[in-house]
Amino acid sequence: MMDHAQYRQAMDADPHNPDAELRAHRDVCQECNLYTERLLRFELRLERALRVNVAARADLPERTDLPERADLPERADLPRHAALPATAGLPTGARRERPWRFMALAASVLLGAVAAAGIWLALPGRSLAADVVAHMAEEPGAWRRTDVSVPAPELNAVLRESKIRLAASAGPVSYANSCFFRGHDVPHLVVQTESGPVTVMVLVHESVSRPTQFDELGFRGTIVPMAGHGSIAVLMRGPGVDAATLAQVVARVRDGITWMP
Amino acid sequence: MNDRVGGNVRQARFQALCQSLRPDLLRFAFWLSRDHALAEDVVQESLLRAWKAQDSLQDLDAAKPWLLTIVRREYARTFERKRLVTVNVDDLIAKEEPMLAAPEEPDLTELRAALFKLPDDYREPLVMQALMGFSTAEIAQELELSEPAVLTRLFRARNQLRALVGE
Repeated sequence: MMDHAQYRQAMDADPHNPDAELRAHRDVCQECNLYTERLLRFELRLERALRVNVAARADLPERTDLPERADLPERADLPRHAALPATAGLPTGARRERPWRFMALAASVLLGAVAAAGIWLALPGRSLAADVVAHMAEEPGAWRRTDVSVPAPELNAVLRESKIRLAASAGPVSYANSCFFRGHDVPHLVVQTESGPVTVMVLVHESVSRPTQFDELGFRGTIVPMAGHGSIAVLMRGPGVDAATLAQVVARVRDGITWMP
Repeated sequence: MNDRVGGNVRQARFQALCQSLRPDLLRFAFWLSRDHALAEDVVQESLLRAWKAQDSLQDLDAAKPWLLTIVRREYARTFERKRLVTVNVDDLIAKEEPMLAAPEEPDLTELRAALFKLPDDYREPLVMQALMGFSTAEIAQELELSEPAVLTRLFRARNQLRALVGE
């Protein structure tokens, strides 16, 4: 049975999602019905905002129409849509920086780090399990029950950032994302099992002395130490959480991880 | 003779299709690059490439994703050629003020400025979904991501956007 949070996460990702389960929840939940109305109002504004006026600007040269076919050389070497080469590595953010900008950036990062450290010291600590559960709210797409595995390049890219490999014996991974968690980018994976999706977070920077069980906000799971390599958090959600499945996934992931130098 | 007539009809259809999709392709390129002049160049070049390669598009109904892919690739090539320097987002917003302005709806101006501030990884799938009408599966295919990863980016994009405009 879907709860409010699950409904809102799914709708925030795709406000026009036609899923029958979402519709069924909306039909019986007044709060989520109102939430949807607000969301769709925002969506209308968003669409209007995106529709910027693209009439030609006066300061730009006049555009010509598409040329006559005869004016152009024979067939360009453009591949078919399906055969286009990978664009995953598009240099969308890679730009050359000037040295003074780098110094300014470094100084601001240092100042930011000092400020963050001060705030961190002033705040009461939250348990690792609570932070893991809180993080789950940010990943609505992760909880889909699906047979589709993440493409190998996508999974490998996520794992490579943490210098790990994961054997196929860990199970079919349906979700892989690199998530910022407690100051580090960590792999957030979902392994599909017969009992449903199981989330695995590889917490290289979080050491625990012994396995810790937790049961918070509808999530049940365990955090287990990985000798010399922090810990892993493994969790499921919902009332039908199966402890045996959790234990199996813990064992399979623990055995399937290889640490790269 | 019939082949020639058929070819001309297809060409005319293709040209009409390009003209009808051009505004949205230009908007997409604008939100991708955050630079109107650059977006104009990218789309113009992309349409020329598409025109030259139109025979490789077997189904005109698939023209939209086909053209979008060409625009994305052309934009990537622009980066390779120009090696653009890092710019301040506030400077970008000031530079593109005429494009972002919506005098009749001031809150749209604020929302457009917030869109400029979204990380590229979040803004691109959001524009593909909310402006271009792509499904999650189509976005996943275009960006070479899994569908759950796309949903996560869309969820984060909307949340950041709402936070930026104080909703």
